[in-house]
Amino acid sequence: MTHESTVTHDAIDEMLFAYFRPVPAGADLGRRVLDRLRDRWDPERFAAQVAFEASGRGVSLVRPGGRARPPVSRAAKRLIDRARQELFDYLEGRRAFFSVPVDFSSARPFQRKVLELTHRIPFGETRSYSWIARTIGLPDARRAVGTALGRNPVPILVPCHRVLRSDGGLGGYAFGLDMKSRLLGLESSTPVLEGCTTTGIVCRVGCSAGGRMRDDHRVVFATVADARSVGYRPCKVCRPAA
Amino acid sequence: MITERALMRRVAEGDAQAFTELVSRYSARLLTFAWRLLGNRADAEDAVQRALMRCYTSATRYRPDWAVSTWLYRITTNICVDELRRRTSRSALRRAAESEAGNGQAVLLPAGDGGPAGPGRHLDLRRALARVPREARVLLALRYVDGLSYQELARVRGISLNTVKSQLARGKSILRAALKGRGRRRAPAQAAAAVTTKGAER
Repeated sequence: MTHESTVTHDAIDEMLFAYFRPVPAGADLGRRVLDRLRDRWDPERFAAQVAFEASGRGVSLVRPGGRARPPVSRAAKRLIDRARQELFDYLEGRRAFFSVPVDFSSARPFQRKVLELTHRIPFGETRSYSWIARTIGLPDARRAVGTALGRNPVPILVPCHRVLRSDGGLGGYAFGLDMKSRLLGLESSTPVLEGCTTTGIVCRVGCSAGGRMRDDHRVVFATVADARSVGYRPCKVCRPAA
Repeated sequence: MITERALMRRVAEGDAQAFTELVSRYSARLLTFAWRLLGNRADAEDAVQRALMRCYTSATRYRPDWAVSTWLYRITTNICVDELRRRTSRSALRRAAESEAGNGQAVLLPAGDGGPAGPGRHLDLRRALARVPREARVLLALRYVDGLSYQELARVRGISLNTVKSQLARGKSILRAALKGRGRRRAPAQAAAAVTTKGAER
């Protein structure tokens, strides 16, 4: 064992060393990792192709490709640039929430209700179509919910990919089902809380203050309480404890 | 034998062979670390694979003022801790407990050495470790799987040397109390609480 010899050994040490004695991994692990890397998908290209439209109040349209109308105002252009950057960070696994505002004003009241509720489904979690129907007080409107989400004008920003069928089936998705499962996979491997080792501050991943953090200064935490227990404090900008 | 920093340089240039060499040096330790934290081999393998993918893709950003091992443990720990976060939410908690119970036999290490660490002791230790707060448990795992020094532990978790020491001491006394408590029917919670007031709040 390579621990310092100054450590005094007791029974617990012996047990811990035995418990953590390395078990051999498969010999082809390196090759399997390289294989997995080979079929990685390129988020940069995807984010560049997405078409955005915005009003002065928020992003009003997200489409997988094609031409978007030119921004109506300078404020709209800023929102679009911000949305594209946030989308890219999100797809790269460096953002666990979107802060760019969304404009629902073109949606009818029912769809608007559905979209607003979907907008609040937390990162990395999923709900069912019937949960949405029940929560807005129209338990029989499952299909209508599916239709409303199918016509979601701002997919990804309003995370309709987090809505699945009650039997666990994927349901549908405007960007294709491959994309739906890719986004769900992405969210299940993106951390949500990270601390900066130089400042001792813990942020939500994607916080504007945390964006300046150097890569080797990032440490991931499971909860804010954990971070506090080792001397970190929550960020005042993104307020991860809230 | 080629040094690890030189190996990292070659990985950064996209040398697949250097990468597999690096992986073979660390795979057993990284896998065991992840396995003991996450409780089952499948999740551990996935976490380690993701960590190694990250290692490969960000090798160009590796800074030689880091020991390669410290850097690898930082990446792997970040991924495992996030996986633990996911389990604290919802039914995942129950699922993890089930898969751990189901895997009970597989988790046991070869017990042929006949020492004090027989299979029964491992089971006790696993239960006792479950009582140790997450951050302390992570430090214990890093410490005992690869004998990382206090400095290295501090760097991996981005915490001070004193925090490392107090967390490890606290973790071990919770373990001691839990293991002893089982034998002598003393309430281990009491012992754990006594330690908490000493180490946690600063």
